[in-house]
Amino acid sequence: MKKYWLIIKNTWSETLTYRLNFVMWRIRVVVQFLTIYFLWLAVLPPNTNFGPYDQKLILTYILGAWFVGAIVFSTRTADIGEAINSGDVSNTLIKPVNFFLYWFSRDLGDKAMNIMFSVVEITLVFLILEPSVFIQTQITFFALAILSIILAVIIYFFISTILGFLGFWTPETWAPRFILFILVGFIAGEIFPLDILPSGVMKFLQFSPFTYLIYFPVKVYLGQLSYPQILGGLTIALAWTILFYLFTKLVWRFGLRFYAAQGR
Amino acid sequence: MIVKRYLKIWLLLTIKASQIAFSSRLGTSLFLFGKLLRFLLFLGFILLIAVKTKAIAGYSLWQVVLFFATFNLIDNVTQFFLREVYRFRAYVVSGDFDYILTKPWSPLAKSLFGGSDILDLPMVLLSVVLIFISIIKLEYITPSGIILYLLLIICSEIIALSFHIAVLAIGILTTEVDNTIMLYRDLTSMGRFPVDIYREPISWIITFVIPVGIMMTYPAKALMGLLSQTSLIIAVSISFTFLFLSFKFWRFSLTHYTSASS
Repeated sequence: MKKYWLIIKNTWSETLTYRLNFVMWRIRVVVQFLTIYFLWLAVLPPNTNFGPYDQKLILTYILGAWFVGAIVFSTRTADIGEAINSGDVSNTLIKPVNFFLYWFSRDLGDKAMNIMFSVVEITLVFLILEPSVFIQTQITFFALAILSIILAVIIYFFISTILGFLGFWTPETWAPRFILFILVGFIAGEIFPLDILPSGVMKFLQFSPFTYLIYFPVKVYLGQLSYPQILGGLTIALAWTILFYLFTKLVWRFGLRFYAAQGR
Repeated sequence: MIVKRYLKIWLLLTIKASQIAFSSRLGTSLFLFGKLLRFLLFLGFILLIAVKTKAIAGYSLWQVVLFFATFNLIDNVTQFFLREVYRFRAYVVSGDFDYILTKPWSPLAKSLFGGSDILDLPMVLLSVVLIFISIIKLEYITPSGIILYLLLIICSEIIALSFHIAVLAIGILTTEVDNTIMLYRDLTSMGRFPVDIYREPISWIITFVIPVGIMMTYPAKALMGLLSQTSLIIAVSISFTFLFLSFKFWRFSLTHYTSASS
């Protein structure tokens, strides 16, 4: 396990090497957050409701979505497609490391840096904007929210890795990822809670893997789901995790048959 | 004569850029689908909010749609014409910018207009259609409002051009382009909604310091007859001031170009 710890540390150092890049990225995230934050502040003045949300709950949701997004969506697997196209993936193949654990470790290094920055940013938001938010006091909801975030991290890792594997067949790996980013913004609950959508749409979305990336963990934190609903949600998220794991392995095996180490 | 020559070069470069874009039909189709999907999902989101709340910051549904459509028009026209800026870093890092400097035409014109992105055209058309629908639904739009709207859209494009020139200048000085241009995109995205929704001092900052409000909100406000004459004068003054400063910055950056990569 020591080598994977070193990969995590290396990724952390790598991020620090390109500090300006990373800081600019975080500024972009803050700007994106502020747009959504102020939109909801304008839509929901104090003492008004939007579905099951008042201003306090919606702002907590948006802040929570921001933090969970920083954990779940920070990934290095977006580089896999390019690594396959350039032949760089051969370097990983000949090393005594597991390919998936190697990239997952890189993800963890990246996530650690993003979490650190988002904690600082959220603190600044609290100090400057002084939003009224809901603090969860029940430890059970807190623990279940953490569990659902862990599942979300694994699901997104597999989704992003599969998109990277498209590099085995085509150099066009960015276009599908562009669509993923758009979908994630809307149907994962990054900019609004999904339960404000019409109930028919919501019923359909509860079986989608995207729902379990942002919306579900934040709803669990807010304590707005009953224990049977949480159990049901965790079961669906676990099922998606297993399905994506199997599918990723399958695509990897097929992809390697096509891999010609071009560019090497 | 010079304008005709530049137009001819622009057309040639745009045809080449389009041929490159269409060399991968799958990628092109997916990007186009993604842009369309984003447009429709955002529109759906706005409709959902406006229908449930009746108004956003005092604006009715069709007013908010007009703001959104105007944002998309300005954003997509800018991207259509100035896509070359997104490729600029590679020229500086590889040293190819030296080659551009030696050509018998303006390096700034090449760096800005050296290949328009044909994929943005469908989105421009879609925005125009949505603007027309909003105008019909709003009913009270006057011809003078439409003239002011077009004038302010020209001002918006001048501000957008100034920002892109500044990004090029930063690119020469620091080789950093990608994040700067995406930060510009994120900041202007704040104008998807009327800037009135943002609290002070953010509202003031994004109107006068980073004039997102002037770029994205003022044209639609003028069309609806909600903009004062003073604001109009401010908009025109700020756009030309930004253009002047950006030219100055560009010239300054050229004097500091080291050609280190070549």
